[in-house]
Amino acid sequence: MNADPRFLIVDDFSTMRRIVRNLLKEIGYGNAEEAEDGVVALNMLKAGKYDFVVSDINMPNMNGFELLKNIRADESLKTIPVLMVTAEAKKEDIVLAAQGGASGYIVKPFTKATLEEKVQKIMTKLS
Amino acid sequence: MGHNDPALLAAPGQAQAPHADPHESEEDIHRRIGQLTRTLHDALRELGYDRDLMDAHANLPDARDRLAYIARVTGEAAEKVLNAVDRARTVQQELSEQADSLRSRWQAVASYAASGKATTPAGKQLIDETCEFFTGVGGQADRTNAILTDIMMAQDFHDLTGQVIRRVVVLAQSLEEQLLKLLLDTTPPSLRPKLEAIELAGPVVSKAGRDDVVTDQQGVDDLLATLGF
Repeated sequence: MNADPRFLIVDDFSTMRRIVRNLLKEIGYGNAEEAEDGVVALNMLKAGKYDFVVSDINMPNMNGFELLKNIRADESLKTIPVLMVTAEAKKEDIVLAAQGGASGYIVKPFTKATLEEKVQKIMTKLS
Repeated sequence: MGHNDPALLAAPGQAQAPHADPHESEEDIHRRIGQLTRTLHDALRELGYDRDLMDAHANLPDARDRLAYIARVTGEAAEKVLNAVDRARTVQQELSEQADSLRSRWQAVASYAASGKATTPAGKQLIDETCEFFTGVGGQADRTNAILTDIMMAQDFHDLTGQVIRRVVVLAQSLEEQLLKLLLDTTPPSLRPKLEAIELAGPVVSKAGRDDVVTDQQGVDDLLATLGF
């Protein structure tokens, strides 16, 4: 893992993208960019080098599940950790995310401590 | 006589529905659907519900607009708060850095004073308290930052309420379409020219090359106008 990992935050609500970005900065990860849906995110992932994806599920054009599926199906992207951050608390969604290869799942509203714990857990696994 | 007896379920004066026949032809089914539609149409007209349906249908776009307004205004409010939080963080950062700088300089003065040179007991106390104050500023800035984080996190309401609003808008849209279809189904044939050629569709992302769907509110209104509403 890069010493200064590059994050991609995917959410159709700019408010939430900004919150996640600020929180990541607070916990020591200031290198982050944003995408408003799965299509934009996938293009950015293919065009540049990213180390970590934090994605919402309910988004227009391409939702979080589809984005996850595309990432896992792409040889050059499939190892990137994907943390799902979503308002969807249904068990079937959580199971679907896990089966699809999500690295973690956070339900909104969440706290800074929760985000930090999940990100660090994934980072520790990678290292 | 059981509660499920068809004779009990049928409305007074109404003919009892024919029993379902597994061998019933497609034509028979279509005829029965047509009869049901006619019955519904007559009932709606007699009860005056066609007007209510029309009103309900007309009010739904207004409801959607209001929900969209709420989503926009709350979004703007959340952005304003986030901007304010960012500015406050910058101020806190500057305050903390200035305090650190001054603390270092005052600590040097304190060391000099501790050697008993060029200071009175009151002066030494003042220096010590000043150093203590500057040391405390960093902690205060951290606590303020924690509060700012709480304020920032509270803005996630926009995302959460926005998702709920979006679902209600989709629901309203679906209801609007169903009401419109019901209106069309209950409109007398003389008021619905070429109705058979019109097939209502769900939200259409692109209307390019299509003339068989209503793609916006104006199209809906125009269609309703041709039907006499």
